[in-house]
This record gives sequence, structure tokens and C-alpha cells, in this order.
Amino acid sequence: MAELTYREAVRDALSQAMRGDERVFMMGEDIAEMGGSMGVTTGMLAEFGPQRIRNTPISEIAIVGAGIGAAVQGMLPVVEIMYEDFLTISMEQIVNQAAKHRTMSGGQVKVPLTIRTQGGAGWSPGAQHAQQLEAWFTHVPGLKVVFASTPEDVRGLLWSAIYDPNPVIFFEHRTLYPIKGEVPDTIAPIPLGKARVHREGGDCTVVATGRLVHEALKAAELAEKDGISIEVVDPRTLSPLDADALVASVRKTTRCVTAHEAVVQGGFGAELAAVIQHGAFDYLDAPIERVGAKFAPLAFAPVMEEFIVPHASDVLDAVKKTLARA
Amino acid sequence: MATEVRLPRLGQGMESGTIVRWLKSEGEPVKKREPLYELDTDKVTQEVEAEADGVLLRIVVREGEVDVGTTIAVIGKEGEDVSAALLPAETSRGNGSESAEAARGGAEAPAAPEPASREPRPSPPGSPHEGRRRASPLARRIARERGIDLATIAGTGPDGRIIAEDVEKAQPAAAAATAAPALPAEVEVVELTTIRKTIARRLTEAWTAPVFQLGVSADMTEVLHLREQLVAGLAEGDVKPTVNDVLTKLAGVALMRHMPVNATFDGETIQRSALAHVGMAVAAPNGLVVPVIRDAGRSTIQQIARQRADLVVRARAGKLTLGDMQGGTFTISNLGMFGVEQFVAVLNPPQVAILAVAAVKDTPVVVDGELDVAPMMQMTLTCDHRAIDGADGAEFLRTLVALVEQPALAL
Repeated sequence: MAELTYREAVRDALSQAMRGDERVFMMGEDIAEMGGSMGVTTGMLAEFGPQRIRNTPISEIAIVGAGIGAAVQGMLPVVEIMYEDFLTISMEQIVNQAAKHRTMSGGQVKVPLTIRTQGGAGWSPGAQHAQQLEAWFTHVPGLKVVFASTPEDVRGLLWSAIYDPNPVIFFEHRTLYPIKGEVPDTIAPIPLGKARVHREGGDCTVVATGRLVHEALKAAELAEKDGISIEVVDPRTLSPLDADALVASVRKTTRCVTAHEAVVQGGFGAELAAVIQHGAFDYLDAPIERVGAKFAPLAFAPVMEEFIVPHASDVLDAVKKTLARA
Repeated sequence: MATEVRLPRLGQGMESGTIVRWLKSEGEPVKKREPLYELDTDKVTQEVEAEADGVLLRIVVREGEVDVGTTIAVIGKEGEDVSAALLPAETSRGNGSESAEAARGGAEAPAAPEPASREPRPSPPGSPHEGRRRASPLARRIARERGIDLATIAGTGPDGRIIAEDVEKAQPAAAAATAAPALPAEVEVVELTTIRKTIARRLTEAWTAPVFQLGVSADMTEVLHLREQLVAGLAEGDVKPTVNDVLTKLAGVALMRHMPVNATFDGETIQRSALAHVGMAVAAPNGLVVPVIRDAGRSTIQQIARQRADLVVRARAGKLTLGDMQGGTFTISNLGMFGVEQFVAVLNPPQVAILAVAAVKDTPVVVDGELDVAPMMQMTLTCDHRAIDGADGAEFLRTLVALVEQPALAL
């Protein structure tokens, strides 16, 4: 076992894939000399050269479009969208092209494209550089959507995403890059569509994604002092969703809170809640609570940013609500 | 600020009570000390008084078993918003607009939990679920599996929602309607009341005690004579003393002289009492109750008669309080009025002895070698052998018979 940061874990997956497979290459803004806006690709230009670590113009539609073309031609491209807010510019390519080719070609054309991107609040990025838009992509058949929360998961899931024959939108969270975690010495691919139980508990299941996995774990620590036992489950892949694991957990705990940093309204927590209530209806002892950001564009002021996005205390409050103790 | 009406603890060991019915309706004004609802505990059914003046804004628990401390209603000012009293406090850092709204108090008060009504009631337009109890799906499933009627359960969740824990604490109905075969028309099924269940439980406990019985007969000539004198000298409108009142007085005196019999036993220690508080078994409409005549040994027969009259009236009306029934040191069960010639009573725990009193009957007796007829009465003392021995009971009975045959000895 080695200890890597989340950032290093992403880099490790990319580097090992590129070392072992000529078809893997990267495109993105500032990923070469600069090593990417978050430093994920630092040092990779030196190892793999400008043919495989390709800087691009500032045109997300071109980055994704070129990625689709390369994937259709048999490559395994990994493209980086600097901030997930800029996925909006490449929406046509993602939603109408990448997601549709396989079906519209009767299965003859596959698009093994990986679109890496990052976002989220923290360090005042402001309203246009900090959104959490994963829910948009889960609404599109033909796309796979991954949101990893630990170094081990991000490495193993990215490996699976690179080799998946379908387009995968691979979300990372800016505040997770520095966190450290144990990873196996050799990369163990984590299959897409498998949830992970981070912590077992008996009173309430918190289904959390991204940064909120860590807030949920903090909430679980706090709750223990009040004699409340929280189970924390991370779906890891949002589409396809490991509904069975989530339902099994909630059938056990009889209560559920969904938690993500994205805005509550129309957020992925709503889909989680719907899937869980359908599978665990007769086991629910309280309505499912949703935790997420307030319905407001993210503020630039740190104190306002802090106010808008959810924290461990919000998760704990929601859990207590399900236990009729709030 | 609205006042929450919580289920009171009316006596030691009371963990829950069953709300029988409300004496006031929602929206009706109530005065402090006015009877508000009827509560069935394991010992009595009694009216509970309102703790505050105002309007009965909301009945949270219409009927059914509730744990002590549960909010069962809210009293406040006309039109006052009761949601604050009933809703879980909003978190300081709510998520989404919904909680922010509620925190500002802008949200409408949620609809009251629908009363569980035994009568089908017409639903107002727009409320198809009139009469449906709020309950979580899990609570509903558990109730379904165990044959428990949700209407009998008080919810402790938000807005009185019944949650799984509430159902798990509840007892399934005695007769689960599901599996029971149809009964013939001539059979009446009687659901056990809380009181009946308590009688069953406590007497079953009593039955496990190692008991012995001692039987005696006493000549009642003097007691009957004494009673006649007392009735003759009665003040206008005063309570007529009964033979049983006289017996209660005499037993009280005998008990003060034989403290081992005037005692309770909790399995660990014996508490012997210098004063005789004599329980009197009364057949109330909903079951046996045993109100207590205080300090029978030192009371006059007339004082005992007045106490007895009040207790019997209230027992038959179901208006005894827990206080009326606590603290007894001994019990007399008299079935003489039914013509019973002899019987054995079951202990009234934690008391160590109970006296079964039979009918007074003209009986041939032998006095100084001559056959005579005397009004004789049989008494049987049941004793808990864990706490007292045969001699203790026998000595007490000897004294009691002596007092019955010569009441003057009690003075």
C-alpha cells in the first residue's frame, strides 16, 4: 500500500494507462507545460511528449469534438475540461454526438471517450467556476457519469473509465486534490456502477457524493457522540447507478439522507431519493431528506460561499430530522 | 405561546396511559382545572384536568396508548399557530428554500393529524384521506405484520407521525382479525381493557407466591347489634354504616396489633406498617378495583362508612384516582352480599395477606354443650408464606374473631 493524494492518484492512473497503452492520449487547455490548472498533469509532458499530452485552444466544443473523433477511430482519448462549468460549451458534442453514436450506428460505432473535469466550491472560484453539474449528465442515456471521492476510488474508477467503450464524464472536486489516502501498489480497476460503503451504521444511511462523502463521514463521527449510528455510502458511479446497494443499505437502516454539494433542486439527490423510496418503500421510517446547496449562484465572498454550500452540520441535522430528533 | 399538553405521570411506575376520549373538542375554550380528557392507566380510568386556560387548538393524539411525556394536545390563544409547538425546530443552516421558508414562519401550519375515528365520517371535499393516521411506510408494514391497528398508537414523529419505534412498543390487538376463524353469532368477544389486563397480570404474579389459607368462623351477633345501634343513632343524611364497615374497623384494630400481617413484600424487604390502610375489593363495571380506606384502625366506624361510600360511588363511575388505590397494607374481599358461604381470595400484591369474608348465616352452634343457633360468618385469610408464617396469620385471626364477637375490645 502506498499513500497518494487524490491529485497524484489521478495522475498515476493516467500515466500508467499511457505507459501501457499507445491508444491513450490527453487533450486539454494548459495541460502540457502548466500541468493543468489543478496541477494534475504536472510532469506528464516530459514523460510522454507533446504528441500525447496535447494543449488545445480555448474551445471546449473542439476539445470534446476532437475527442469523439479520436475515440470513434479507435483511440482511448482522455480530454480535460478545465472547469466543469465550461462543459456547457461542449454540450452539443457530449449530448447530441458522443452519447448517441453507439445507438444510432446500431452498435457499430463506439465512443470510448473520457472527459475529465473538476469543479465545486472552496477557495472562492465564484459563480462561473464552481458549479456541480453532474445531475445534467445523468439525464442523458448513452453517457456514463462518475464522481470519485477518495484517492483509491479516483484511480481505480478512472482506469475503468478510460477503457469503457462508452463516453464517461469523470468528475473530480477541487478541494479533494490535496487529500491523502491509501492506495494499493498496483492499480485495481474499480468497475463502474458499483457503490462503496465507507462506513457501516444502523440508524440512517447517508448517500453522499464527491466532497460530501467526507462531510458525511465527519457527521457520522459527530453523530456517534449522540448515540446515532450513520452508514455512509458513496455511489461513485452516478450513471449507471448501483441501486441495489443503496436500497439494501436503506432497508437495513430504514432512514436515508442524500447529500451532494450541488444545488438541492433538481439535483442528483432527487434521483437517489426516488430510486431508494421505490426499492425500500416498506422499510422507510421517515421521508428521505436531501442535503445540498441553497438555490443560489455561488457567491465569491468566502463567508457567503460557506453559507450556500452544505457541510457536515447540515448532514447531521438532516439525519436527526429523519430520526425525529431535530 | 401555546402550551403543550403532555401525558402526565400519575403515579409511580406509570410508563404509559391510554387516552379513552376527549371531553373537549378542538377549538373549544378550556379553563385551567377543567376536565380535559379521560385517561385509562393500568389502575384506573380518570379524568385529567387542563393545565392552562385557553382554546384547545389541537388534539394530537385522539385515543390510544401513549408514553408518559408525549405531547397529546396543544392549548393556546384563539388562532395561534401551533406548528411551533409541534414541529421539530428548523435547523439553523437549512438546506434549500423550503426550510428557509419555514424558519421565517412564513409556512402554513401543517394539517393536523387526522383523528382516528371508529365511526366512518363524511370527508370534506378535497381530503380523501380523512381518518387516515400519519405513519411511516415501515410503521405501517410492522403494524400490518403484527395485526396492530394504527388507530390505537400514538405517533412520536414529526406532526405526530407514527414511526416504527411507536409500533414496536405497542401491543398487538388481542384478537388479530386476520387469522381468527369466524365465531358463531352467540359468542361475544370482549377485548381486554387496560384494567382487565392489569388484573390478569398482577393476579398471575400473585398466583406464583407460596400461599396458605386459614379459615375461621365468627359469631356476628354483636356486630349486627352494634350496626343497628349505629344506624339508629345516625345523624340526618349521614351514610348508613354496613356490616363491612364495622368489619373494616375491627380488622384495622387487629392489624395494628399484628403488624406482621399488616405489611407489604417487594421480594426483597418486608415493610410493616403501624397504621392499617385497608383495601376494599369493589366490583366496578370495568373490573375489580381496590380503593383504600385510610387509617381504618383509628377511624370511627362512621368515618369509615363515609370514606367507603365516596370510594364505592367513584369506583362504580370509573372516577377513582391512582391516589385512591395506593398505599394499602391489607385487603378485605367481601362476597357475603352474594350469599357465598366460604371462599378463598387471591393475594393483592405487594400485600402479604387478604381476608375473604363470606355471608352471615344462621347456623347451629354448640354453646356450653347446648345446641343453639347463631349468625355465623366464615372468614378465610390468605397469606404470603414468603413474608409471614402460619402463626402470624393465626394470631391475627384469633384477635379478629375476638373483636368481632366482643367489639367493645376494639375501643
